[in-house]
Amino acid sequence: MTAVQPRTPQPRTGPPGTPPPGTPPPGTLPSGTLPPTAMMSGRYQRAFTVAVVVLVAGWHLAGAGGQLLRDRPAYGSFAFQGAMWLAMALAITAGSVLVLRGAPGWRLAWAVALVALVASTAAAAASPAGQMLAVNWAWGSAGWTGVLVLLRRRFGELAWFLAAEAVATLGVQAGDGLHRTDLAGFLAVLAWSTGAQVAVAAGVRALDAAAGQAAAAARSEHAARERAATAEIIQAARHARWLALQESAVPLIAELAAGTADPGDAQVRIRCAVQAARLRRLLAEGDQAPGSLVHELHASADVAERRGVAIEIETAGLLPQVPGRARRVITDAAIAILTAARSHARITLAAVADGIAVSFVADTGMAVRLPEAGDGVAIEQQQDDGTIWAEARWNSR
Amino acid sequence: MEQPVTAAIIEDHPVVTEGVASWIRSDPGQRVRLVQTARDLTGFRAMPQPSADVVILDLELSGELVITQIPGLVAAGCRVVAFSGHSDPAIVMETLDSGAHAYVSKEEGREHLVEAVLAAAADRPYVTRSQARAMLADQSPARPALSQQEQQALLLWFQGMSKASVGRRMSISENTVRQYISRARAKYAATGRTAPSKDALLARAIEDGVVRPDEIIPYQSFARTAADQPSPGAPGR
Repeated sequence: MTAVQPRTPQPRTGPPGTPPPGTPPPGTLPSGTLPPTAMMSGRYQRAFTVAVVVLVAGWHLAGAGGQLLRDRPAYGSFAFQGAMWLAMALAITAGSVLVLRGAPGWRLAWAVALVALVASTAAAAASPAGQMLAVNWAWGSAGWTGVLVLLRRRFGELAWFLAAEAVATLGVQAGDGLHRTDLAGFLAVLAWSTGAQVAVAAGVRALDAAAGQAAAAARSEHAARERAATAEIIQAARHARWLALQESAVPLIAELAAGTADPGDAQVRIRCAVQAARLRRLLAEGDQAPGSLVHELHASADVAERRGVAIEIETAGLLPQVPGRARRVITDAAIAILTAARSHARITLAAVADGIAVSFVADTGMAVRLPEAGDGVAIEQQQDDGTIWAEARWNSR
Repeated sequence: MEQPVTAAIIEDHPVVTEGVASWIRSDPGQRVRLVQTARDLTGFRAMPQPSADVVILDLELSGELVITQIPGLVAAGCRVVAFSGHSDPAIVMETLDSGAHAYVSKEEGREHLVEAVLAAAADRPYVTRSQARAMLADQSPARPALSQQEQQALLLWFQGMSKASVGRRMSISENTVRQYISRARAKYAATGRTAPSKDALLARAIEDGVVRPDEIIPYQSFARTAADQPSPGAPGR
């Protein structure tokens, strides 16, 4: 019986050139990862939204509010105009909250827009006859409110809203009497105010599109880096496997070819069986099977099974992930024991405090030379009349 | 010479029944006699009572799991040994909690079925490797607290060592190994839902000195307060 103190477990990733066998599962790639690009594009969009909120609120406070105060004497009822201005301010506040919390649905967006439309039409209708366009503060604010809440909806919706707003104002003007100068004034305001609103809305859409493109470019760059990193890991794993073969299977094959090793010799046959099992394990290490230690043990058992040894593999409990180097030590022990097994072997994996206990019971008929303990794995064995019990215990600490 | 223990088997595959019969026949001491065979539970219930000392029950009859039928069988006075192709720890635990004396997977039948039947007939605990596996894997909040020695004995037994080897490994006698494993089983009998079979197993364990009554006191108070509910929490020991 040998009991060896485990060395401190190696970290999972080794120095360059000696990576852990087997590639890590996707999503655990090393450095070079960018923040999710969707978030990046989202951040730009939010900045544009904030800019529009500031613009609309600034317009209503300074532009519309200023005009309201300046033309105060002209209104029939300043209180009514003030109330409409406040109603508009509330609509803008509600609209700002909605767009800052995410894209509002059509119901909420249009509810706010209609409040603005009604308030502006009422304010226009209450203006003194003949001076409506001159003292109208509300048309611009209503249009900007529409831009605010309909900004990220279909462009047609904003166009309909701005048209409805213009028609409503024109209707009020028509009620007052439509002279040629009034029509010219109306068109001038329409061109300047609505033109600016359409320009801002179109500008934000263009910026949104640009941010989306930038994000997509970053995403594809990120994907390319990820692919490169994966390729590097796979390449390193292949190299490690090739190196492993160089020192184990290749010399044996060379001896067989040269005739210095005799296949009739039992020792040579055992060496061949061990190398065959190792080759299978090497292939299994490349597979990304879940519960890779169990998978690799199955692969290691394959050669012995072909030899007619009955092998059972059982697990108990939720098994921890074992790092590649420790898995190597454990599967090496498995290969050593299974190669010596005569008719049956039982392999168990049990979750134990801070690690895993992998045990082997087999009718080897003799003690088996087991691999050196290390990489966090302690190995023990006990011999009881022809049956060997061995345990490789990996401790995560 | 003692009277042989009588056994009934409920098994839907005749070839399995045949195999079990041959294991029973090949027991050197001829300690068990197979007296009844039924292909399903209806057939078994239709048989003249009293039935055998122990019922060997295949858990899957005609493609259906019959674990939920175990409490009924146990209440009717049967000692049930479950025999199944399944080895999923959750199924093992549920079967034992339902009042089965032991769980023998089909792979371990040759080695353990006769012994499990004999133990059940005497209301003594018997722990197969698949049972040990289920106990080791058990993470349910109602699981009993096992001592380190009991855990270690269960682990080595699950790993496939003989009880004599486990004893050598732990530097204790083979008898003490049995004691540890039986005690773990008895602690499980003291948890979960109540069943006459569990009471019998516990009473026998106390009589045999496997457990002390104070080690399973929470069970007794629990049995008094909650009739048939799953345990709300782990007993104190």
